Amino acid sequence: MDLVDRYVKAVAKALPENQREDILSELSEDIRSEIEDRQRELGRALTEAEQEALLKQRGNPLVLAARYRQDHRSVAFGRQIIGPVLYPFYVRVLSFNLGLTFLVITIIFTALAVSGQKIGIGDIFSTSLLQLFIQLSVVTLIFSIVEKHLVKHPDRWNLNGRRGSFRLDLDIQRDVQRDILFRMECNTREVSRFESVSIIIASAVALAWMTEVQRYPFLILGPAAAFLKLAPIWYQVYFPIVLLTVAEIVRAIINLARPDWVRFRTLVRVIVQAAVLAVVYFLIKAGSWVTAAGSMTENAGNSTRTLEIINQWFLYGLVSTAIFSGAMLVLRITQLIRQPRGQSESPGVGTAAKEGN
Amino acid sequence: MTPGTNNHELFENLRLELRRGSLVLAVLTALRKEQYGYTLRKTLGEGGMAIDEGTLYPLLRRLESQGLLVSEWREEEKRNKRFYRLSAEGKVILKQLLTEWQSINASLDGML
Repeated sequence: MDLVDRYVKAVAKALPENQREDILSELSEDIRSEIEDRQRELGRALTEAEQEALLKQRGNPLVLAARYRQDHRSVAFGRQIIGPVLYPFYVRVLSFNLGLTFLVITIIFTALAVSGQKIGIGDIFSTSLLQLFIQLSVVTLIFSIVEKHLVKHPDRWNLNGRRGSFRLDLDIQRDVQRDILFRMECNTREVSRFESVSIIIASAVALAWMTEVQRYPFLILGPAAAFLKLAPIWYQVYFPIVLLTVAEIVRAIINLARPDWVRFRTLVRVIVQAAVLAVVYFLIKAGSWVTAAGSMTENAGNSTRTLEIINQWFLYGLVSTAIFSGAMLVLRITQLIRQPRGQSESPGVGTAAKEGN
Repeated sequence: MTPGTNNHELFENLRLELRRGSLVLAVLTALRKEQYGYTLRKTLGEGGMAIDEGTLYPLLRRLESQGLLVSEWREEEKRNKRFYRLSAEGKVILKQLLTEWQSINASLDGML
């Protein structure tokens, strides 16, 4: 995929679907005509840097895409918080998060209802309202920060993720490419600092959550925590999971200081992914992940059914995690093999290539 | 912010506003002859009405949806290009706009 394709792809993400193909064909044609024109003037092919400079002149792909949209909607509380450029992404992320959250809430409450548990409208309402508030606040806060950056530094974007760049469009693009085409990962010259910071924050939140879940099972079981408790296997794998999370935090901190240690990241990821698979294996082997709390004996038949349903869901979740982790492990190993040693270096792999970047 | 910066920003805003109105006229005038996007952009640039593609293409779409332009995808030099030209309605509107513009111009000239 050349630079023009990457630029056009970045624009595509923010275009209205019904006009996307048409606009992209025309935009792609315009860029290629300009490149040809310049090449004719110079009497030679443009270098990648020259092509990049030409695309830079056209501006941030998201801003360009926003000009094609008729609906210049935004979020404002007094002053504008999320502008028309990011608004479609904001709505998409919020809808996805809320949809997923309410799906989980619906499954939990349906499982409770099917098993004959008493559910108050107040419980459903308060749980939904709390989730709505959390999702809305967090997503709005994140997007308002990105918006601030976008307004302040409209020219800070790039298509190949070099150091110091604002990676608004790059991340959107790279997330897709990284997952689907690992070739892009192999070509990455360094670990994005944004990625490292995100992992540190997310892992720290996960650690805090894991600690609190022990004291407040409600955080994982919801209202069902009143009559269900986590099976002993979770307490057995607690320490390894914490250890893996801490390892990922340490890795991200190291990559924050040394973004050029790409191979180190891949190596740690291979180890972590293998360990995750082992943990999931022991979890699946346990066969039961939620057990009855003392108060559940009052309605034995229904309670057993609830347990069966919830354990079944846990099994589905664990099997999916195992499949995903297995695929990720294969992907990481392939990346490790394909990543040129001279491109980056890890403390465990040696130090010779440190100057290579 | 200094008064100088304020004046410069104000001038830029007013200049852009003035140009924005004239751009429609320039685009319609240039499209009396059929052209595709890139050559149209070049024509406008060479005529002193430089316009970036992020402004031009949405404008072309708007003018087409208003019925002032017609477009057609056609192959040229082994590539598919979208050619634009004035519609019959566009020709009538352009004529009226040009008359109006000349009248405004004459009035301003008279005042200056």
